[in-house]
Amino acid sequence: MTEIVATNETILVVGGGISGMTAALEAAETGKQVILVEKRAYVGGRISQLYKYFPKLCFPTCGLEINQRRSKMNPNLTILTMAEVTDISGEAGAYTASIKISPRYVNENCTGCGDCAKAVELEVSDDFNYGMNTHKAAYLPHKMAHPQRYVLDPAIIGTDDAEKAKAACKYNAVDLDMQEENIELKAGAVVWATGWQPYDANKIQPYGYDRMANVITNVEFERMMDPTGPTGGKLLRPSDGKEAKDVAFIQCAGSRDKNHLLHCSRICCMASLKQSTYVTEAWGDDASSTIYYIDIRAIDRFEDFYKKVQADENVKFIKSKVASIVENKENGNPTLHGVDTEGYHRYATEHELVVLAVGMQPSVDKDAFPIDITINEEGFIEPSSENGGVFAAGSASDALDVNRAVQHATGAALRAVQVVNRVARAEG
Amino acid sequence: MADIKIGAYICKGCGLQDRLDISQLEMTATRDGKAVFAKTHDMLCSQEGVDMIKADLQGGDDAAANRVMIAACSRRAKVEAFAFGNTPTIRANLREGVIWVRPDEDEHKETTQEMADDYIRMGCAEAKAQEPAEASAEQQLDKHILVVGGGYTGLTAAIEAEAAGYPVTIVEKAAQLGGMTAQLYKKIPSCSPYADPQDTGIDAMIKSVEDNANITVHLNSTLTRTSGAPGRFAADISTESGSTTTENFGAIVQASGQKLYDPSGLSQYAYSGNADVITNLEMEALAKAADGGPIKRPSDGKEVKSVAFVQNVGQCSDEEDQLSYHSGWGDVVAIKQAMYFKDLNGSDCDTTIMFDNLRTPGAGGEDFYRSGQRKGITFTKADITEVIAGNELEVKFKDQILDNDTSMQCDLVVLDVGTLPNSGPDPYAPAAEEDEVVVNVDSILNLDYRQGTDLPHLKHGFTDSHFICFPYETRRTGIYAAGPVRRPMDLAQARDDAAGAAMKAIQEAENAGKGMAAHPRVGDLSFPSFRKEGCTQCKRCTVECPFGAINEDEEGYPVYNESRCRRCGTCMGACPVRVISFKNYSVETVGQQIKNVDVPDEFDEKPRILVLACENDAYPALDMAAMNGTEITPWARVIPVRCLGSISLSWVTDSMNNGYDGVVLMGCRRDDDYQCHFVKGSAMAAERMSKVGDTLSTLNLEPERVVIHEVAITDIQRAPQLINDMAETVDKIGMSPFKF
Amino acid sequence: MTELNAAMVERYRSNFLKEVEANVEEGEWVKMCMQCGVCAGSCPLGNAWEHTPQKIFMMVRAGEREAVLNSDAMWMCTSCYNCIARCPRGLPITHIMHGLAHYAKRMGLAPKEQPTAKFAQLFWDNLVKKGRVNELKLGISLYFMNGFSEGIKTSLKMKDIGLGMLKTKRMSPMEMLGGHGVKDSAGFQKMLKKAQELEDKRISGSTD
Repeated sequence: MTEIVATNETILVVGGGISGMTAALEAAETGKQVILVEKRAYVGGRISQLYKYFPKLCFPTCGLEINQRRSKMNPNLTILTMAEVTDISGEAGAYTASIKISPRYVNENCTGCGDCAKAVELEVSDDFNYGMNTHKAAYLPHKMAHPQRYVLDPAIIGTDDAEKAKAACKYNAVDLDMQEENIELKAGAVVWATGWQPYDANKIQPYGYDRMANVITNVEFERMMDPTGPTGGKLLRPSDGKEAKDVAFIQCAGSRDKNHLLHCSRICCMASLKQSTYVTEAWGDDASSTIYYIDIRAIDRFEDFYKKVQADENVKFIKSKVASIVENKENGNPTLHGVDTEGYHRYATEHELVVLAVGMQPSVDKDAFPIDITINEEGFIEPSSENGGVFAAGSASDALDVNRAVQHATGAALRAVQVVNRVARAEG
Repeated sequence: MADIKIGAYICKGCGLQDRLDISQLEMTATRDGKAVFAKTHDMLCSQEGVDMIKADLQGGDDAAANRVMIAACSRRAKVEAFAFGNTPTIRANLREGVIWVRPDEDEHKETTQEMADDYIRMGCAEAKAQEPAEASAEQQLDKHILVVGGGYTGLTAAIEAEAAGYPVTIVEKAAQLGGMTAQLYKKIPSCSPYADPQDTGIDAMIKSVEDNANITVHLNSTLTRTSGAPGRFAADISTESGSTTTENFGAIVQASGQKLYDPSGLSQYAYSGNADVITNLEMEALAKAADGGPIKRPSDGKEVKSVAFVQNVGQCSDEEDQLSYHSGWGDVVAIKQAMYFKDLNGSDCDTTIMFDNLRTPGAGGEDFYRSGQRKGITFTKADITEVIAGNELEVKFKDQILDNDTSMQCDLVVLDVGTLPNSGPDPYAPAAEEDEVVVNVDSILNLDYRQGTDLPHLKHGFTDSHFICFPYETRRTGIYAAGPVRRPMDLAQARDDAAGAAMKAIQEAENAGKGMAAHPRVGDLSFPSFRKEGCTQCKRCTVECPFGAINEDEEGYPVYNESRCRRCGTCMGACPVRVISFKNYSVETVGQQIKNVDVPDEFDEKPRILVLACENDAYPALDMAAMNGTEITPWARVIPVRCLGSISLSWVTDSMNNGYDGVVLMGCRRDDDYQCHFVKGSAMAAERMSKVGDTLSTLNLEPERVVIHEVAITDIQRAPQLINDMAETVDKIGMSPFKF
Repeated sequence: MTELNAAMVERYRSNFLKEVEANVEEGEWVKMCMQCGVCAGSCPLGNAWEHTPQKIFMMVRAGEREAVLNSDAMWMCTSCYNCIARCPRGLPITHIMHGLAHYAKRMGLAPKEQPTAKFAQLFWDNLVKKGRVNELKLGISLYFMNGFSEGIKTSLKMKDIGLGMLKTKRMSPMEMLGGHGVKDSAGFQKMLKKAQELEDKRISGSTD
């Protein structure tokens, strides 16, 4: 049974991505008691799945390492993984949150030795790599996963594989009887940092994501370029493993579109600019990137990066929302159809690989939010005094890049600290 | 002080028992490592194992041990389990560092065991060299926050910090609060619906600040001197009339705002001498002056019937004297101002926004764009050629969609000019060339620091950090920049930014009060100290500290200002006479590890390679390589360091003198996009090491025995390879002749 | 230039967008276009267009009145509705195209020899006579639209289809003699007249 000490001076952070971790750490490092609830089996969220950050082209895992070290060292912070908030009642300074903890089937005895994975045979889809490959049904989600504790996929519970995993573990860490738990926690303030999901590319039918192997999403492309990803960091297209040297990027794949996401997702332009550098890095002068866009939204100093990419002769820009993609059956190349709106030029251009710059769908369920809160048309939490002691952080509040999300989350931490400090003063 | 009593704890789990001779490790710990005892456990990280260690630490001076040497997994694993408060706790990495990187074959058993034995010796040596860290006597809790600047950002920071229970003082240069925001007619909407311009709310903010007993405001005032450190800043607040008061603060938020670009020099826009060509800020004044009636143009008071908004004036440009970056808000502001005309002058008023890439990001941005279109604002993707003055102005442009050169007539032209930060002079600005015209900028903070008066700039004069994941890092501890001085931003972002900076300020005030380090080593109580008798007053530490923490006293000795220190150890690496140390990190803590490695004599043909790896990037990369089972040469001995900048040259020369055959230094990227969270550590190490070749030559050693690499955390294939490459190099050039 | 056209030019001077908004069906949507071009790319006949919808919208905003109304572009629309389905801003593009075509026709600016424009006129003339479309007459007038000899040629080319339709009773030769109409023909004509009046008033009265 999970035992947690929480009071009205505790800050509950929901979501352990970069925003949630930031809010939690900033508050904890100010001496506040923080409980962080994360749905996945590990913290770090989507940034742990990115290869590089724009505009520095540095590695997200570098900052993740720092944040994970901060959290390992900080006794004020408690992390609950595989946990979701199902209900919140009460008011600022006195909330009660119900939390559902799904069974991991591996307890804290786990040393991360990996013997269970060696013993198990079943392979399951690797969610960390967006299903582009499989991994063992006993697995560490990724190399830097924190907590460094294995997970058993529910699919093997009740099978021989589960027994094998249990038998392989020398430390009694595999607990096949683990059940879903529901616990209640007190909290003075709540930081809601559930982030975003990539927009479901299947819904953009004319782009044929569901039909063409060589049409992938930007988040999948990040995994592909990562040395720990499904291709070991090689730019190979899915259909035939051929080197993909001519890559097209389609902007606003789902964003700025009343049929999909009404909002501009802010990050996708910069993400594609960044990803074009991957192509150039991989193939040098043989590389060709074409970015199909409506507006390149290089905000403030990202302009420098935009200029840098524009200066790369291997990157072309076409102002056009691509109309449709048709597969050339002979070579598997997707052919893009549309009109270059600058001067009206029709094109039907083949590329070896197409990357859909899918937008950010907020992970805020408007219809089933656990407490009454102001949520806008796009599904983001609005800053509103009516939200009481619940504060959005990061992409739960708007489509934000990492830097903006961290900035926002640090501010959200302060607002939560204000509430619990008020409680502390009132309680003397 | 109690004697040093090292308790050595050797884990047998995770296959260590199967691969290593545990009893030999125990013997190594007690015999070579001088541990008072060595204990083993089947699973040291279990509650039972941890309790065993804790029991040994009980009893104060009579405790069985006062140093813990854990020989188990990597220091990155099971951190929470092996946390023993203030007791120096060393991790000898036998799992990721030894058995996972060596093949499980009999022929390798001997060298694998040697590796493990060495890590035990190194662990014990480090434990011996460490002292429990204690906060310095300098610590002081001062919850008072200083906010420099009384504009929207400064007011927000003050209100937010005060709401958390921290008293605030605002110092504002002007005669009134409100800054640039007070000049605005309305603001971009910052909450739903993102459909119309909203009231700035600045008056209410000013009132709430003025009414708040915990917020003190100094108008017409500047900082004439700021000294001290987090927890004990002392600021001289001087008024225009010359009176000065000194107040103490725990931390500082600098919200000195922005100024807008002056387009006078750009003749193509006909701004100079034409009253009807105005900037976006002047447009706000015009709208304000209209006082709810129709907006009239400046030249003749004619009611404006048509207006052109010319975007990206003097910004996003490669031209000299123009801004290469974008304001971020220029297009959204143009939409807002076009709406002023639709609202005040009637929907018949023609408003055309001539943009390049329409930057209206996010949910609010795109909503506002649509709302602008709905109100009848015309958007034209245009390349502006020139603005021609006259009673009726003409804007000549290329319509990029219709691909033709055309023009439009209008009554008024509004230029979208960009933003420049109101930052003080950059302490690290390169010295001006002889014939260069130097524009002197007033200092904002007047820091009484050895390394300059103000926050260092990163690029374009903005005082932000270089870190995507840690935007509030500045290179002056306890001073946090907020608002458009930090990066271009609109009011909604400034609101969050002010709250974020206030958060960091109260956090630093609290941590400085406990004598704890600031990010990224929060919780670290150690601080640098130096042996005065050995110091040669060479000033390298005071010059090279990336955070400007160290001042000099009258005799030129360093003054450390502990709470300004980030514990990176760059000063340690800078010191040629090795007098600077931290209790938990010093020339000794690493030097002793190097010395305690068993270096076999030349005829054993077992080289030794010292690897000094950045603990944040290279070391985790090696850990992950180990998880993959990537082999590393058994000759390598890896020591994590806080930052390559902390590497004392003596570690390299000592290892050479002790008969090591090669040294591999692994730090992070050091170009303009440097990644070191201690800013310049990797670059400094590279510079210092560039001279090591000479030293090697004097010893008659080949320069290729010492290499320095940039290694990223993702280099999980490359990092082991670089170490193995050194083994090959040694193989080629032969063993060091310095073995005894 | 027709009188009405001259009046409209005078009334809206340089602001063609306003003219379109006031007088063209769904014209108030034109300003909402964000120039992404997906309508142009999605149009199955796009390559036959002189100007794509997205470009026409930009031309409207740029005040290129003659070029838009003289264009045959919007006459090419086959009402497949692909553009409407895809438009990220939800513009009723098909309707706007028809609206513009109709407006051009009213202004007397529609291209004279444009086949779909001519057909549209034939269809209208055919329809208003009896309130129902006389398909036989419509077909024949379509064949002879470009002169007698062309008509004969087309008729011969289509004769097999025609005979087939006669055989399967999909077409009656008796229709040639007048054909059927709506029951209340006078009422229908009255209705048309009233609609025309309203439309005229709308256009001429829009700035009154």
